Amino acid sequence: MKFIETLKLAIAAIWAHKLRSALTLLGMIIGVMAVVVVYSLIQGFNTYVDEKIAGIGAKSFNVQRFNPLEDFKDTDTIAAAQRRNKDLTLEDYEYLKERATLIGKIGARARGTPSIVKRGDQILEDVFVSGATAAIADIENRDIAEGRFIVDPENDAAQRVAYLGADVATKLFPVGSPMGQEISISGLPYRVIGVETARGTVFGIPQDNFILVPLKTYANNFGGLIRQRSLYFVATSKTDDLFNDAVDETRFLMRTRRKLPLSEKDNFGIVTPDAITGLRDRLFGTIFIVAIAVPSIALLVGAIVIMNIMLVSVTERTKEIGIRKSLGARQMDILKQFLVEAVTLSAIGGAIGVTIAWIIGRVLTAVFFPTFLSLGAVFIAVGVSMGVGVMAGVFPAWKAARLDPIEALRAE
Amino acid sequence: MSDVTLATLPIEAALQQAQVNGQHRPTSLISMRDIWKTYQMGTEEVHALHGVSFDVNKGEYIAIIGPSGSGKSTLMNLIGCLDTPSKGDYWLNGKNVSEMDDDELARIRNQEVGFVFQTFNLLARATALHNVELPLIYGGIGSTQRHEMATQALKAVDLSDRVTHRPNELSGGQRQRVAIARALVNHPSILLADEPTGALDTHTSKEIMDLFERLHSEGNTIIVVTHEHDIAARAHRILSIRDGLIEKDEKIK
Repeated sequence: MKFIETLKLAIAAIWAHKLRSALTLLGMIIGVMAVVVVYSLIQGFNTYVDEKIAGIGAKSFNVQRFNPLEDFKDTDTIAAAQRRNKDLTLEDYEYLKERATLIGKIGARARGTPSIVKRGDQILEDVFVSGATAAIADIENRDIAEGRFIVDPENDAAQRVAYLGADVATKLFPVGSPMGQEISISGLPYRVIGVETARGTVFGIPQDNFILVPLKTYANNFGGLIRQRSLYFVATSKTDDLFNDAVDETRFLMRTRRKLPLSEKDNFGIVTPDAITGLRDRLFGTIFIVAIAVPSIALLVGAIVIMNIMLVSVTERTKEIGIRKSLGARQMDILKQFLVEAVTLSAIGGAIGVTIAWIIGRVLTAVFFPTFLSLGAVFIAVGVSMGVGVMAGVFPAWKAARLDPIEALRAE
Repeated sequence: MSDVTLATLPIEAALQQAQVNGQHRPTSLISMRDIWKTYQMGTEEVHALHGVSFDVNKGEYIAIIGPSGSGKSTLMNLIGCLDTPSKGDYWLNGKNVSEMDDDELARIRNQEVGFVFQTFNLLARATALHNVELPLIYGGIGSTQRHEMATQALKAVDLSDRVTHRPNELSGGQRQRVAIARALVNHPSILLADEPTGALDTHTSKEIMDLFERLHSEGNTIIVVTHEHDIAARAHRILSIRDGLIEKDEKIK
């Protein structure tokens, strides 16, 4: 018997019991859906982290007070790091800038301060204000919608100019261009020089609720660049090949400047993209495995439901099996008929589950959290569903194939 | 079944080998030699058939008659290759069926035997045409040729206008005629009918028996298993079974 005949037969049998097929598939659909939704959340998270790193600059590294991988292991290491590590200074920045030979670009930033921003009657609370040097725009691949980024003379003169996030711009300037307009940040007037393209929300956190001002302006008006306003540097290497060398050189320069003996650990932190993805995998790897494994149980339940229904189906169709055998169906023909039916059933379930999961993924991405579903994952999900179908179908199909034709014909 | 097709069957080689070894190879279509069928009922052995022998030639019209429990159903299952004998040789169209495994039997049923059942045994969800196509599907015949052959078979039983009907849209007589078309579609060596009129009224029964007569006159070999004497009387030879043995074998026409 040709495969296409068997497949037609399977689809006809599934179609003949539409309601029952749909109910049978429910478990399968929910199982596949749950696994795929979780998987696309994980993929989305991973992609987000990767993109974030790319956002900082495809190949850039941070020099900062703490190394989160080393220093934030537990309360002891945090306490030790807080005693040992000192805040970076602008002099450190100048020192690196002057001496580093492998660094391509280097910029300095400070951690932000939630501030009150006003323009006329418009008052915005908790706008995240921080300071940056001109090079940051290039290094962090900032996408400017209107105007321009901060330039070096503005920083040197500590001018009060502001570069706005998209949300801040639209809220303060519902109509008209904000360029050249005056706003008040923490009670002082600033002139708007640029607006960034909207970036949306990530993990429910808006990405456009910020203002960047020249680093020196920030230091003058918000307090010294220490503790919660601590300074950090972002740097790129001259070429991608030199990246690791640039990191090593920077570490060496920092240690030299701080006169650390060989036996001492770094009293500063250098964070590379590899370290970030490594941290992600270390922190979430196990959670991800569990997150996939738990909904997989639903898949197992779905398989058991299919097996159960197939067994009922074999019993119900004993007569049909008898008739087919009397007309010359071999054991393999009957086995194939029921196996293909089970596999087709679960493949349909898998496809529906993936489709629903994809829709849920789109909705999640739109309102809450980035998700990502690769084509490969879709094929794997449908493939696994079919595998589940084989597992669920093989025993009932074998039972059907082994029926004695005389006994089967006698069934009613 | 043409000789050309037979020659291509692998079993033919084995048969020729058997001949060389000097074994008996019958010339008749059906040859049963000392057939026993024994069932194990708990610790007891029950002999449904003990030592049945007979021959059927091509083109014969035979009725097998006997009361219930006589072994006539067992004999029918053996003739139809649904089962194999516990002892003895059964040759069907030159092939020793008694030693075949399940899949070989399935092939013989497909190629050599056309079944007609008391309760028709049509697939309820399938159209008349699809029901008739079933043996061809298992025979591996392509859809165009299959369609052609099935349409032809339905025409032969005067059901050309019922091709797309499902069994529940057909009368009892029509259903039995679909079943007969299905039995004949593969041009089998024997048409084996088990109480073919058992579920039909007198008038329809007569129609079906007339059809059998016509099929016989067209050269088909027909075996009807029945317990009704007037149905048996339409055959040309009657085998009477009682207590697992052939009691009487009489030619009546």
